[in-house]
Amino acid sequence: MSLAIHTDIKEQAPAPVDAPALEAKVSVRRLSFYYGAYRALADNNVELYKNKVTAFIGPSGCGKSTLLRIINRIYDLYPNQRAEGEVLLDGENILRPKQDLNLLRAKVGMVFQKPTPFPMTIYDNIAFGVRLYEQLSKADLDARVEEALRRAALWDEAKDKLNASGLSLSGGQQQRLCIARTIAIKPEVILLDEPCSALDPISTAKIEELIDVLKRDYTIAIVTHNMQQAARTSDFTAFMYLGELIEVDETTRIFTNPKQQRTQDYITGRFG
Amino acid sequence: MAGIAATPRYHRRRWRSHLATALSIGAAGFGLTWLVLILLVLVVKGVGGLSPSVFTEMTPPPGGAGGLLNPIMGSLMLTVLAVLLGTPLGMLAGTYMAEYGRYSKLTMVVRFINDILLSAPSIVIGLFVYEIMVARMGHFSGWAGVVALAIIVIPVVVRTTEDMLLLVPTALREASAALGVPQWLVIRHISYRAARAGIITGVLLAIARITGETAPLLFTALNNQFFSWNMNAPMASLPVVIFQFALSPYEDWQQLAWTGALLITATVLGLSIIARMLTSKKVLT
Amino acid sequence: MTGAAVAGRNLTLVHDEGRRAKTLRRFHLGDLAFKSITQISALTVLVLLAGVMLSLVLGSLPTWRAFGFSFFTSESWNPVTEKFGALPAIYGTLLTSFIAMLIGVPISLGIAIFLTEICPQGLRRTIGTAIELLAGIPSIIYGIWGLFVFAPWFQVHVQPFFIDTFANIPVLNQLFAGPPYGIGMLTAGLILAIMVLPFITSITREVFETVPPVLKEAAYGIGCTRWEVVRRVVIPFTRVGIIGGVMLGLGRALGETMAVTFVIGNAHRIVPSILAPGTTISASIANEFTEAVGDLYTSSLVALGLILFLITFVVLAAARLMLMRMAQKEGR
Repeated sequence: MSLAIHTDIKEQAPAPVDAPALEAKVSVRRLSFYYGAYRALADNNVELYKNKVTAFIGPSGCGKSTLLRIINRIYDLYPNQRAEGEVLLDGENILRPKQDLNLLRAKVGMVFQKPTPFPMTIYDNIAFGVRLYEQLSKADLDARVEEALRRAALWDEAKDKLNASGLSLSGGQQQRLCIARTIAIKPEVILLDEPCSALDPISTAKIEELIDVLKRDYTIAIVTHNMQQAARTSDFTAFMYLGELIEVDETTRIFTNPKQQRTQDYITGRFG
Repeated sequence: MAGIAATPRYHRRRWRSHLATALSIGAAGFGLTWLVLILLVLVVKGVGGLSPSVFTEMTPPPGGAGGLLNPIMGSLMLTVLAVLLGTPLGMLAGTYMAEYGRYSKLTMVVRFINDILLSAPSIVIGLFVYEIMVARMGHFSGWAGVVALAIIVIPVVVRTTEDMLLLVPTALREASAALGVPQWLVIRHISYRAARAGIITGVLLAIARITGETAPLLFTALNNQFFSWNMNAPMASLPVVIFQFALSPYEDWQQLAWTGALLITATVLGLSIIARMLTSKKVLT
Repeated sequence: MTGAAVAGRNLTLVHDEGRRAKTLRRFHLGDLAFKSITQISALTVLVLLAGVMLSLVLGSLPTWRAFGFSFFTSESWNPVTEKFGALPAIYGTLLTSFIAMLIGVPISLGIAIFLTEICPQGLRRTIGTAIELLAGIPSIIYGIWGLFVFAPWFQVHVQPFFIDTFANIPVLNQLFAGPPYGIGMLTAGLILAIMVLPFITSITREVFETVPPVLKEAAYGIGCTRWEVVRRVVIPFTRVGIIGGVMLGLGRALGETMAVTFVIGNAHRIVPSILAPGTTISASIANEFTEAVGDLYTSSLVALGLILFLITFVVLAAARLMLMRMAQKEGR
């Protein structure tokens, strides 16, 4: 069913006149996911387009976080969880057993719901990941840290206390620190799992601005339970319900004229 | 509220509760009194023999003057080496249980067995080390004592390492895994760092535990009348010397036994207090 | 550098593929190596236990071969004629631990109830900490205190009292028969009780603190007295945990060496009077092992050690299982 909708979109979506052709960075094909014997995701198909923001919305427990966590295979840390189907990153299936997970996660970054600064200085929080993969001179490393902080809109607030503990920042700042350290290692895709739900409205607004800037360079997927946020920040929206992708479309289209009744019901607040 | 009156039945219930309260307070007083008494006697009798010579002179023959230099040094050496031997092993085992094998059956079994070893009679450990080392080597030695104490250190360190690592929030681990950090570096840079205070506390508690252990040393390191650095020969230790001197009929030996007991208790209490301060500071951050 | 300028910077992801492949290989090997080392270390714990059991069994073989099952029933302990029997030692171990539990458990429960229900908040932490610190005092301290302070006092002021008071009561005058040595089974049991007090108290207290406050509030809310709350809510809720804690204390008491060795009197005999000297397994080993001459003597002491290890193993395993059940119930 979701496949039909998906094909639907592909044929009908008129490409915006001034934008380049849409290129799929991540393709999810017939994806099912199991916690033990319980099937949490059923046969999902969706594309994340390069340099676009795709939002995943739906009621609690519909599987949107589960789907996100498959794209960087973070579920692999736990036993009894398995995925079936294909997830293609630049054409290569990352679900195959031989896939190097560390490499995958260096390419696909993730920001979690709860800000999790490492127990290190602000500088080290960002330099940690970079140092592992690259050998930079002190000057280059400093520059990389500064660049990451600037892009995360944290430089002005942090530049005088780079040696302070990451935990000394406020909640909104900590989350931006997490974003900074994710982009410092130069990934290609960024997954955001409800990044603002633990934050106050002002920090939320700052991060939404950030997403708008970041999408010029990265492919972004964001899970949110806040529909207005999805409407504000994303180019494409996917509505999920009980583990199935009900509808995927351009954001403007989905919020004004959804094709599925359930989507309509959710958006108008009938449930969820 | 009609019906809820102070009936005789209610009075009886109240009286029973007061009695129970009184007994509880009595129990607390009784228990604490004995313990305070023991500490008081220890301090009074031990301080009597406290003098610089205790730290500078070797154990004397009966009727002579002397100190506790060789048992103190012996205990220090045995303790340090036992901790150096047992802590890495214990930490690595605890790391496996909390990080790599968190959900595995092996971990459940190891945890169970470890907890049993934790409270096992230490004299049996002494017998074990006697059989595998002293009997084989043909003589008592400081090394045998080190091994015996290390076997007591290991379960303590395993338990605290596992407990402390389990406290590290999974969100933190996921966040670093999501950066592409391999598991062993996540453990080293994130988990260990976050659990650092707790693990150090565990080591301190292990030290406090072996400081007073006598039984495992009785037939491994045995005792040495003279001061010696030689680990391959019998080695004096404070608890064993106290054992020997206290059971003897000589007054000056008995005095040294009390002083030695005071030193041990002070060390154990000091380490425990430091360990507590470490964990409470961690809680505050 | 303004945000716009930074964003415009070169973002093509040119990663040094050769270096990255090398790094990833290093990561992979590191994980393999570290995982193996930690796994082996975990296995070492199991190996240790197996090793202890094995060496005890092997070391005691001569005794089993010489005496067989009669080792458990014989009372003789004669190094000269080389006839050994474990009964006095086993009896002593069980008796002293029994006395310790009999006296220690009610008092520990009382202290735990005091700390969790009665003690004013301000004092709670101090007294609680004091108890935990006392739990760490090495047993040899209890031993010498028992020998030099408690035993003489007991001998002069208490034992004669028992002997005289029970002199004419049929069973009790056997149990409390003189002469008042000061040291002996009862003394050892009492010292053990004092030693085991802080230990059981701190476990029981931890267990009491797992009772959800709402449960207690509900009971107080319908007008229960404090004792009724303890008896009808707290204790039933934590019953399994208390038993587990008590058994842990029992395991400790059974294996205790130094607190007992000083005051037990080291006599391999069984007599009705609990005021008389006796021996325990650990006291026998501690007192005699280094002077044991002859294979059979040494092996008999090792056999005693094996018996002790098995007894404590069973008690500790049962205790752990109960505490695990308690933790499950809590939803941990």
